[in-house]
Amino acid sequence: MSAASSAVTAAPPGAWRRRLFAAAPYILLTPGLIWLLYFFVWPAVQMVLMAVSSGTLTTGFKPTGTLKPLTDALGKFPTQWSNSLLYGGISTTLDFLIGFPVAYAIAFRGGRYKNLLLFLVIAPFFTSFLIRTISWKILLGDEGPILGVLKSLGILPVDYSVLYSPVAVISGLTYNFLPFMILPLYVALEKIDKSVLEAASDLYANRWHTFRRVTFPLALPGVFGGTILTFIPTMGDYVNAELLGSPKTRMIGNVIQGRFLQSTDYPVAAALSVVLMAGILIAVLIYARALGTEDLTG
Amino acid sequence: MSVDHLPEQSRGLESQAISRRRFLQGSALVGFSAFLAACGGTSTESTPPGTISIPTAPPVSPTPEPEPTPLPKPTGPLMFANWPAYIDLTGKAYDTGEYTPGSSPTIEQFKKKYAIDVQYVEAIEDNKIFYAKIQPQLQAGAATGWDLIVVTDWLAAKIISLGWAEKIDHGDVPNAVANLVDSLKNQPWDTGNDFHYPWQSGMTGIGYNTKVLAKAGIAEPKSLADLWKIKADKMSFLTESRDTFGLGLLKLGKVADPSSPTILDDLQAVFDDIKPLVDAGLRFAGNEYLQDFASKKTWAAMVWSGDLASSGTEGDTFQVPDEGLMIWTDNMIIPKGAVNKYSAELMINFVYDPVIAAQVEDYVYYVCPVKGADVEIKKLDAGAESNPLIFPPADYVAKFHNFQFLSDEAEAKLDELYLTLSGG
Repeated sequence: MSAASSAVTAAPPGAWRRRLFAAAPYILLTPGLIWLLYFFVWPAVQMVLMAVSSGTLTTGFKPTGTLKPLTDALGKFPTQWSNSLLYGGISTTLDFLIGFPVAYAIAFRGGRYKNLLLFLVIAPFFTSFLIRTISWKILLGDEGPILGVLKSLGILPVDYSVLYSPVAVISGLTYNFLPFMILPLYVALEKIDKSVLEAASDLYANRWHTFRRVTFPLALPGVFGGTILTFIPTMGDYVNAELLGSPKTRMIGNVIQGRFLQSTDYPVAAALSVVLMAGILIAVLIYARALGTEDLTG
Repeated sequence: MSVDHLPEQSRGLESQAISRRRFLQGSALVGFSAFLAACGGTSTESTPPGTISIPTAPPVSPTPEPEPTPLPKPTGPLMFANWPAYIDLTGKAYDTGEYTPGSSPTIEQFKKKYAIDVQYVEAIEDNKIFYAKIQPQLQAGAATGWDLIVVTDWLAAKIISLGWAEKIDHGDVPNAVANLVDSLKNQPWDTGNDFHYPWQSGMTGIGYNTKVLAKAGIAEPKSLADLWKIKADKMSFLTESRDTFGLGLLKLGKVADPSSPTILDDLQAVFDDIKPLVDAGLRFAGNEYLQDFASKKTWAAMVWSGDLASSGTEGDTFQVPDEGLMIWTDNMIIPKGAVNKYSAELMINFVYDPVIAAQVEDYVYYVCPVKGADVEIKKLDAGAESNPLIFPPADYVAKFHNFQFLSDEAEAKLDELYLTLSGG
């Protein structure tokens, strides 16, 4: 078969093949790179430019190098920034506390039901995010299945209310992002070589020590991945605060949405997004450094 | 001054069992105060004089209008963007089951008559958000994908002034030329109706549920001042900032007139007046306030007329505040570059047939811009012709305020104040 092809080209057949082989990774990367350039790098550049622009929607925005949008973004919304940090932090912590035992149980005790249990974890994703959040309005309603029962039992006062409070927003966030915590934790725990645990008990470690000194450290990549995957979207989320919260529980995502769609103040919206992205990036780097990671993330 | 409130409350509408419920509008207000006058005014005459009167036919089949001679061929599918639940849907008593449940008899009749497809999409829930979506295409001179859109006065005026609306050929819309109520003619932003025809008008006032308030031992709010005294965390105002601030101005006894020289300070005063309520738990809602009414989470709210009337919950009441109320109009516009412009004109013409208008009105319960619809609606739903929400009486009209057309400066101020109130 090589006879025919070598006749066409002057180069020795092996040379082309070698070159092609060397270039293969880049050729294979090309679609992904184009996608990233077009849908990530280019919009990110535009966003940064918009963040230093001035103008209005009707007259058009021009990058004038003004820093006003950035100073507005940093200075004007202290409540919403702290709500984002607080709600994001609390939900991520709750997700970890709820998710770790679940992931642990599936990984170590799931047995033949492992796949079914994992399926159940992601099953809610078959329903739209919006619908799930709206259904929390019903769940948390004053006369809903939770408060209604507790009130009729006399456990809660009649006018006790959760909907439109920070508790409602945090509940929604915790619920919506829980699978993002469980799945990485599960992957990390599942990978742990059971013989390591046996070795620990052979060396007279009790269960707690085994967990603290062996299991948990080995699960750290999952903890890292899970908290990042949970914290970043909760921090920027606006749907939960919009549907389950009140004007007092608005998060930074709501501000971005409002600036973008309501007042069409694109520069401030862009500046807020830039600050949010930069802040998260820095936080993740510090966090990665603190967990001591490189190989943790790998 | 108006000591004698007449039938200011259109209570008891629930008994009319209308199925249209959530309405929509997040829209803004509009309107022209005079506006409904005509609707109300003509309500007892059968045919307004001087109009090319259209012979009326049995409700289901629209009357054929005399077709202007050489006609372009209608093309489709007509892309029609409107607000949720803003057209008749199946399920009314006169519906004999010939339409698929959930479809709109009006749209189905149009499709049949002109043999073109119509994509009727409830794509608009908020003027600003819808505008933010179509504005880039319009600015770039590209088609928006829509042939007919329904937007509130201030946005309609803006789109028209920017030259982003197709001119309507009056020869294609004889019904609309003949039957548009006088009060909605000669709008300063489009004096000859070259670019728009009204779809519906509506009022913004106070809504509450009599039973819920009675249970809570609270007097029914008759004025905005009363409304402000209700527990803030049991209330919602409107996300449509022109409505909330318009009523806020009336509450403070200020003129709700966008051209007032003190408007910036007045808006600030409204902000200062509402801020304590927000701190105490007030929320802002679009038509989702209906859900909170149903769940008793909301006791009273700023609402759009028609909504509660047709929402089906017993005891829901629309109250005209003593201080006055907002009036607005949503308008049909053919956006620049529409592919099926002629079909869009046919649709405008079609819904200005009083028979069709009555059919729509009997479902949506908004204020009717079509002369003669009151006569037709009697045939569908006796008593509807005197429903103050569809054909507002003079004492309603006297209290109308239009807070639609803000200067750029006032609009920027309003946006900023509203966003700050609503939490960013």
